[in-house]
Amino acid sequence: MSKSEVESTYSKRASRWKLIIFLLIIALVVTVIASLNVGYYGISFEDILKILGKQIPFLNTFVDYTPKLPGDPAVLLLVRLPRIIAGVLVGAALAASGVLFQGIFRNPMADPFVIGVSSGASVGAALATLFAAGFAFFGIGAIQIAAFASALITIFFVYNISRVGSRVPVMTLLLSGLAVTFFSSAIVTLLQFLSGKELFAIVAWLAGGFSNVNWLAIWAITPFILIGTVAAYFYARDLNLLALGEDTAQNLGVDIERVKKILLFLGSMVTAAAVSISGLIGFVGLIIPHMTRLVIGPDHRILLPTSTIIGAIFLVVCDDVARMMTGSIMGSLQLPVGVVTALSGAPFFVYLLRRKKTRYAL
Amino acid sequence: MNTKYIIAAVVVIVLIASAAFVYTYYQGQTSDSGIEALQNLVDDHDYVTSLTAFPDRIISLAPSCTEILFAIDAGDKVVAVTDYCNYPYDFAAWIAAGNMTSVGGFQDPNVEVIASLNPDLILATGGIQAEIVESLRDLGYKVLVLDPTNIDGVLQNIELVGNATGKRAEATALVNDITSRIDAVANKVAGVESKPKVYYEVWFSAQSIWSVGAKGFETELIAKAGGVNIFENDSLDHFQTDSEVIISKNPDIILLPVGMETLGVETPFWVSFDTVKARPAWDSISAVQNDKLYQIDGDAIQRAGPRMADMIETLAEIFHSELF
Repeated sequence: MSKSEVESTYSKRASRWKLIIFLLIIALVVTVIASLNVGYYGISFEDILKILGKQIPFLNTFVDYTPKLPGDPAVLLLVRLPRIIAGVLVGAALAASGVLFQGIFRNPMADPFVIGVSSGASVGAALATLFAAGFAFFGIGAIQIAAFASALITIFFVYNISRVGSRVPVMTLLLSGLAVTFFSSAIVTLLQFLSGKELFAIVAWLAGGFSNVNWLAIWAITPFILIGTVAAYFYARDLNLLALGEDTAQNLGVDIERVKKILLFLGSMVTAAAVSISGLIGFVGLIIPHMTRLVIGPDHRILLPTSTIIGAIFLVVCDDVARMMTGSIMGSLQLPVGVVTALSGAPFFVYLLRRKKTRYAL
Repeated sequence: MNTKYIIAAVVVIVLIASAAFVYTYYQGQTSDSGIEALQNLVDDHDYVTSLTAFPDRIISLAPSCTEILFAIDAGDKVVAVTDYCNYPYDFAAWIAAGNMTSVGGFQDPNVEVIASLNPDLILATGGIQAEIVESLRDLGYKVLVLDPTNIDGVLQNIELVGNATGKRAEATALVNDITSRIDAVANKVAGVESKPKVYYEVWFSAQSIWSVGAKGFETELIAKAGGVNIFENDSLDHFQTDSEVIISKNPDIILLPVGMETLGVETPFWVSFDTVKARPAWDSISAVQNDKLYQIDGDAIQRAGPRMADMIETLAEIFHSELF
């Protein structure tokens, strides 16, 4: 292939990528707006659009909206919308860090929780549930803060016990992550044993969900997730080279120890921020990157942004399913969203895997 | 001559009748001592237990069982309770002072502690204790399972424990007292025009809201007190729901439990009335607008024990303050 041929293939591919990302963003926006129509509280789609219109400066003078029920428009703006936005952020964060961890470890079993972020966060969340449930600092719940902090402390700990001189071998990292996960899971089990009524909250946290999230909690995590995913994007090329093996990547000029360190930190920070409001939502971080890879291909420059957006769409839709079932088949009961993600996603993933005739590799 | 025979016959009949009467009367007296009531005790899982003597060393594996034992004056026979038992006495202090033994938690009572106390009767509950009950029975212990689903079930439990411990009179008196107090409340609220819609919160966190449906004991207590649980049409026990559902059902009264924290935390999970009122969009709920938030004893409302009547009276005063 001549130089110009390479360049034209690349520019063709680049414009195709831009189109894919553009379409996915449109799909995300449509999903969010359609999701506003899903919920137990009765509010017409027309009113929903009017309420949204009222929020937009200049446009709001043209919108004629009168509340019908006492909960209008607060239920939409303060209960349902933050919940949907939380789904976007958490889904995006888990899928993005799933891509990062699978890339760093070159292991299909890797997910955002592989080096102990989740178990670390659950220790903090369980402790705060038992000793400080309901407390808040500047409006942000103690459970959220404790989960975030203990996740980062756990990662710091895992990273340092894995360090051999100036290097951090991925195998050691995986194994020490495993050991710390078992240890902290045992602590959570112990705390569950000691708990009484608080067991409800710990179980709900472990099952995952963000049904009572408020705007403040969302504002608190948004910067971490935004900065983390955008910054990680600049290492997409390095991840591609890393896929060839650490030695090859090193020879091709990648400072692998530095890249690993930065990406581990970014992935953990993004995951910790997400988990701090959602509890443990499994499946998204493991499977969405694989699903996307099956459809889009393994190049991290497109895999990372598309996985991120698909993760967001997927989690919002799963939460819609949970909300839709309340009031229809489930009565007043609401399923935890973590249950919906695994129940609906796993069969779809198996379908994709079977459909792919060629060999699947990371 | 005939008259004589008739008189004699009448006398004989009267004598036999009175002898029979006296005999059955004393039979009745001995049965009141309760020994044969120890035969064929049928518990809530239809397991039949027979005791040979009144138990002297009773272990309670649930707070509700402990409350029943002490309420029928069988408390002096109790040798061990769980860490969750806190009524009618501060058992944690008793345990600390060495006057009572702890069998540990509710989910995981320590079988070795139980065995070392050599109990002649153990009271347990259903659900998560099913396994431990089976292993205790395999070890030869006499276990009664109290697993009531409604108020009548609790009253039967009290009678059963009365029979098993030789406190029949006390048990009957307690049952009569509870029944008459519940009836009194029912009579008072019978004429009310409107019954308030009640939301009872089991737990609230960023991840979940828990309440109770028709299968929950709390729903029946609320109904007896002249209220309607907003979830009475959901055939569920404790379950996870959604803020939108509660806002849509628009309860007139919100009940918030206190006193269930186990690790010495004083603040309840819902923190304060103001925090509850400040939840997103809850200011549209009738109970919040009319300041109808009440804290109630969380143990008393959910334990299937002798405090049912107290709780119903408390609830009725909240629901229909004009009548009391």
